[in-house]
Amino acid sequence: MTVNVFAVPVFFVVFRETLETVVVMSVLLAFLKQTLDGPNRDLPTYKKLVRQVWLGTLIGFGIVMVIGGAIIGVFYRFGKNKWAKAEYIWEGSFAIFASILITLVGAALLRVAKMQEKWRVKLAKQVEYGPMAKLGCWAAFGLWCEKYAMFVVPFVTVLREGLEGVVFVAGVSFSVPATAVPIPVVMGLVAGSVVGYLIYKGGASSRLQLFLVVSTCFLYLVAASLFSRGVWYLEANKWNQIVGSDAAELGAGAGSYDIDQSVWHVNFGNPEINGGGGWGIFNAILGWQNSATYGSVISYNLYWLSVIIGFLLLRYHENTGHLPFMKSKTPDHQKVEVSSVENASGTSSGIFDTRGISSQTDPEKAIATVQALPARTNSE
Amino acid sequence: MALSLSFFPIFSVLLLALSHIAGAATVIYDFNITWVRANPDGQSERPTIGINGHWPLPVMTATINDTVVVNVNNQLRNQTTTLHFHGMFQNGTTDMDGAAQVSQCGIEPGSQFTYNFTVKQAGTYWYHSHSSGQYPDGLRAPFIVSDPDHPYKDQFDEELVLSVSDWYHQEMQVLFPKFMSKANPTGGEPVPQAALFNDTQNLTVAVRPGKTYLFHVANVAAFAAQYIWFEGHNVTIIEVDGVYTEKAEAEMIYLSAGQRCSFMVTTKNETSTNYAFVGSMDTKLFDKVPKGFNNNVTGWLVYGNDKALPTPVLVNKFNDLDDFGLVPYDKKPLLPEPDQIITLDVTMGALGDGKPYAFFQNITYVYQKVPTIYTVMTTGEDATNPMVYGEFSNSFVLGHNQIIQIVVNNHDAGKHPFHLHGHNFQTVARSGEEAGDFDSSNSSQINYPAIPMRRDTVVLNRNGYLVFRFAADNPGVWLFHCHIEWHMSQGLIATMVEAPLEIQKSLTIPQNHLDACKAANVPTAGNAAGNTVNVLDLTGANAPPKPLPAGFTARGIVALVFSCISALAGLAVIAWYGSVDMGAASKVAEERRIAEMNQRESRDPVTPVTQATALVELPERSTQTAR
Repeated sequence: MTVNVFAVPVFFVVFRETLETVVVMSVLLAFLKQTLDGPNRDLPTYKKLVRQVWLGTLIGFGIVMVIGGAIIGVFYRFGKNKWAKAEYIWEGSFAIFASILITLVGAALLRVAKMQEKWRVKLAKQVEYGPMAKLGCWAAFGLWCEKYAMFVVPFVTVLREGLEGVVFVAGVSFSVPATAVPIPVVMGLVAGSVVGYLIYKGGASSRLQLFLVVSTCFLYLVAASLFSRGVWYLEANKWNQIVGSDAAELGAGAGSYDIDQSVWHVNFGNPEINGGGGWGIFNAILGWQNSATYGSVISYNLYWLSVIIGFLLLRYHENTGHLPFMKSKTPDHQKVEVSSVENASGTSSGIFDTRGISSQTDPEKAIATVQALPARTNSE
Repeated sequence: MALSLSFFPIFSVLLLALSHIAGAATVIYDFNITWVRANPDGQSERPTIGINGHWPLPVMTATINDTVVVNVNNQLRNQTTTLHFHGMFQNGTTDMDGAAQVSQCGIEPGSQFTYNFTVKQAGTYWYHSHSSGQYPDGLRAPFIVSDPDHPYKDQFDEELVLSVSDWYHQEMQVLFPKFMSKANPTGGEPVPQAALFNDTQNLTVAVRPGKTYLFHVANVAAFAAQYIWFEGHNVTIIEVDGVYTEKAEAEMIYLSAGQRCSFMVTTKNETSTNYAFVGSMDTKLFDKVPKGFNNNVTGWLVYGNDKALPTPVLVNKFNDLDDFGLVPYDKKPLLPEPDQIITLDVTMGALGDGKPYAFFQNITYVYQKVPTIYTVMTTGEDATNPMVYGEFSNSFVLGHNQIIQIVVNNHDAGKHPFHLHGHNFQTVARSGEEAGDFDSSNSSQINYPAIPMRRDTVVLNRNGYLVFRFAADNPGVWLFHCHIEWHMSQGLIATMVEAPLEIQKSLTIPQNHLDACKAANVPTAGNAAGNTVNVLDLTGANAPPKPLPAGFTARGIVALVFSCISALAGLAVIAWYGSVDMGAASKVAEERRIAEMNQRESRDPVTPVTQATALVELPERSTQTAR
């Protein structure tokens, strides 16, 4: 009986897509709340940035509806599934793009989290109202991205997840009775939103740093999965072109994948068939594929390798002011300052300098103007 | 371009009919096999395989009891070749059957090979290459054996030969790699570009009114079965695959690739119009048919040269005669209960290289190192052990004079025409489509006809079954295979090794054959792996690719574990990075930045909101001295 009012695949797909979106949204919102709505509150900026997040989500959702509607309309009208040809290319490239975006945003969030609250507020304001006129093209674009990051990130995420979800639901709706579609869609949205709310609540009230570390870990898992899946989609698209029109008949068995590129192929755990069920969520969060290719496995590992190297380099740069083997870009007095600080602390000057440097022993003139602002970090 | 029916076959038939008066003759053919160019459908000239510089090939003719000698000289330069005389029993001459790497070695370019056999059966046959899917490149033509004591000899005035075929614009060496590739996992066969009558289109057959013509029709196609009908005339079938039948009238007949039929057509008594006759390819098995595709070929019975050639009328339904009901003229009764029943399930699927293969009982045929006949000749008593022929020659050993029953269950959603070398067989049961496997306990399925239809190539319906019987009275090595050339190359072949010890006693391989093997560097002794010392040791025998891996292989597990480890390492680094402080240099940089920010604010306050100003540090006055 449940088949007639509740199409299970629809529920799982909507839940999965909503989950991916709300994770990103709730992390951003919780971060904003902690930063700008805490003791050092800056309500206008807070409200503005929160509005950016919601605007990004809703506008993205709106566009998804429009594009999805257009695709479905074309399908009904002309009987041609134009989407199917481009689907994998779209999903693949967008997944990679979203992955890179989330990676950068996650790192930025972590960095910002290390600053004392006051500075975060200032930074937020600076980003908001900072001068843009005299900067070069790329720098201006970079600054624009920083300024509107809270809009762009949820927007891109919703676009990707939403389109995938809308097209799938539309496709399923051709084969199940129309009555079986609305309830699972609503339930999926509700279930996803509940999870998102819990994340938000949990994040907004816990220690910011802990929350950020945990949620960033999660975000990076999702980003790694997106990167791997993006590569997988592009490979799957190439294979479908090679096989040609017969691809649809093959389902998920032999012939639906390139045997020479296959690292493993099991006949269970397919995240695409019938919405994928639990495997679909496994696929969304962790990048599980029942039919993995060299591309998808290597890209997954390369992603993590890049992340690890990236963070190590970032840490090195934070400690020494320059990348390994490169000259420092900072003015000389600052370099001297850094080394004097390091020497003063008497610790080894390896890049993994985790002990906090408690005080300046020899403040330079540059620091004199900020005397009133002690250089303390959260670790104290 | 309209082409009159060549008078050559009629002439040769008459000539040989005369020669029989002199007693059993020896007919000698000297065939130089070369490449020529041809354009039978007028749309695309292409290289084809010709004999003695000509294509279409000559129709071979003989009279019953004649000895036929064919001297084949392979001048193709880039391909080996053989000739198989489809339907000939080759009783006592199994080494003349022409199946490459089974009855002989392939004839290398530059080599010469002689076939020498006696024809003890009359009717409509054909000859074609039986080497690496070669015959669709043009090496095929009818072979008619006339019979002075033909049961219906007084009932027809003239004999005509009509071949019907499909035609490709590209050579097999171009089409085959595209077909047998991992990019074609469903095994979709290439669609032919045209259909031909007598290797041409727009064939005209001059006929006189009030006469009866006997048409010998052979389907020499690579793939397509054809529906054949004559507008305005019915046909009377009197022979199928060399077996005379009781007269059976039909409006339309169906011939699969490899099948032949003789029927009489009585012409009208007036010559006011010409009539079209049509061959229409059965497109059910065609993968993707291009737009504007014409699957028909038309010929005309020309009563009067001055009359128009009518366009054939479209037919709504194919009402072809079911050959199962044909009754053999000799009324040979159903053979007794079988001594050996062989069940063959037909499946198609991919193996570990991703290519589409075909299987009998999950075994796909692979040519072995030693041609099967030479294994029979050189393995002594062990020749009765099917193992010596190799697992992938799919061999069954039949006892001499046993009654053999073969049950073929089709697990594929396509029709297949199956052909047995060395015999014709009694078709005792054939299901329609989707009937499932043969169940011998089901009484409705074992209602065998008392006088079953006999032929050597029969159609098996999709997802249905076929049961036939024959007596193993012809010692030899006989292939049983689908006659769709694409499926044959996918491995849908089984080998019947019939009375191997009798073969050893009676057969002597001609030196000419052994020389051909030497030229090809193919061993002529030992088991399937070429082992002459221990014939039960099959190490090194040719085998197909391994099946697709069933699940996680070692490679997969390593990849999965390694990926998990990378992820955990990555998460650890993130957690570490997130928990440590800013780092010395960054702190300094941030402090500078904030100082600049404050200076800018003091110079140029932009924040409109009052609440924020409370947080703004007191503006520094000494901005100029900042550095």
